[in-house]
Amino acid sequence: MEAQAASNQVMSTPEFSLDTIDIITPDHYQKNGYPHAEWAWLRKHKPVFYVERPRVDPFWAITKAADIMEISKQPKLWLNGPRLAIFVLDPGETALPPEALPLKHLLNMDPPEHGEYRAILSRYFTPRSIRALEPEVAKITNDVLNDVMDRKECDFVTEISSKVPVAVIAEMLGVPRKDWTMLFRWTNEIIGGGDPEFQRGENPTETFAQARMEMFQYFTDFVAERQKNPTNDVTSIIANAKVKGAPLPTLELLSYLLVLVVAGNETTRNATSGGLLAMIENPEQFRRLKADPTLIKSAVEEIVRWTSPVIQFGRTASQDTAVHGQKIRAGESVCLYYPSANRDEDVFDEPFKFDIGRDPNPHLGFGIGEHFCLGSNLARLELEVIFRELAKRLEYAELAGPVARLRSSFVGGIKHMPIRYQIKPASA
Amino acid sequence: MKIVIDPTLCEGNERCANAAPEIFEVRDDRAHLLIERPPARLLDKIRLAVRMCPRQAISIIDDDAQNN
Repeated sequence: MEAQAASNQVMSTPEFSLDTIDIITPDHYQKNGYPHAEWAWLRKHKPVFYVERPRVDPFWAITKAADIMEISKQPKLWLNGPRLAIFVLDPGETALPPEALPLKHLLNMDPPEHGEYRAILSRYFTPRSIRALEPEVAKITNDVLNDVMDRKECDFVTEISSKVPVAVIAEMLGVPRKDWTMLFRWTNEIIGGGDPEFQRGENPTETFAQARMEMFQYFTDFVAERQKNPTNDVTSIIANAKVKGAPLPTLELLSYLLVLVVAGNETTRNATSGGLLAMIENPEQFRRLKADPTLIKSAVEEIVRWTSPVIQFGRTASQDTAVHGQKIRAGESVCLYYPSANRDEDVFDEPFKFDIGRDPNPHLGFGIGEHFCLGSNLARLELEVIFRELAKRLEYAELAGPVARLRSSFVGGIKHMPIRYQIKPASA
Repeated sequence: MKIVIDPTLCEGNERCANAAPEIFEVRDDRAHLLIERPPARLLDKIRLAVRMCPRQAISIIDDDAQNN
């Protein structure tokens, strides 16, 4: 038997205090990765925990899978609109009112509007529609691997894991290749504006404002072109869609595209990077996948459970209610911690074990209910192709330097992951 | 026991058909029931399908009493 990697050890629960436990500061995530020890302690001692900390409006932290499911299943009681996620301001940063930099999209819409907007694209994201993209995704993946094949070291994030999702979503949207770098930069700035590496301007808000404005300008022209000359790309579908018989208002139209670019990029990239990291830390699991390619589907589910790239979304109670016996008043917000649900001892045997054969795997990595990730089938396809090709072509890989994490308590990012490796040519 | 799929929620994600292929089939991007009143021996699989449905579109209705 091999020694298990440290991250596989059954979590010994250190003691925490409710006054000081940190599950929300971006610095903590950047320095230490996900606070799994803290979440495990909260699941055991305080599964519905009222968090009052500097520079963030108070909220209830929800850490048990069953509670997150119950909340997610009641989209009229628990609204997305008022507070989409829980953000902490940087020292000296002031919160802008939401109307200062408006976005209106699937993530912050509520019923019944949410369903009307989701229906515009849902049939393009079904397993059947997405399966048709498999040859294209395989070609993109193998091109990316071919580009680094003759080398022995690279940054897995900037040169491999980030390249596939941006290419796939750009192809779906019909964005020409010369503009892909720009899309990629905007994604980093919108999600990673809290990280100095991606910051433009004085603070995260300014970075977001700048990226949002540039993306809106870009898509305004692109949409006008697709309204004149529609093609079969997703931009054309949204540009010419109607809700209740009327074309989409400009804000809704541009926000829809912005969210597709951002959501289609960041999450899959981080699942890919985190997935390879898990394989490096658990080499027996990578050998298992190499030996038995039929494990690819359960391996992908386990990678999504293990990495849980979306850390949290918020919900706000539209009336007085209760969660896990705790009263919550109308107007108060909860924070749903998906990575915590995905290590919940009441749902998973050996939750801290990375097991690519885990089945069933009822993880909440894509959320559940009304707002269940629209792109889940695309993400699954991308991860299936990437790890299928890595299992075939990657002879070995090890870390060649420290893993650099994103400064964010919203999306769990790996910014850089230097690896030493050997990749062989694709077999004909 | 009766199984119901809410057509306004189902988006054809195929998780039900993977969990309980005896009961669910996805055609034209929508889940369909192969048996509306499945035998009790399939209950575990059906419960798994209910749990795995990402849109939470499946319910089990326990109406055996009123049939008796």
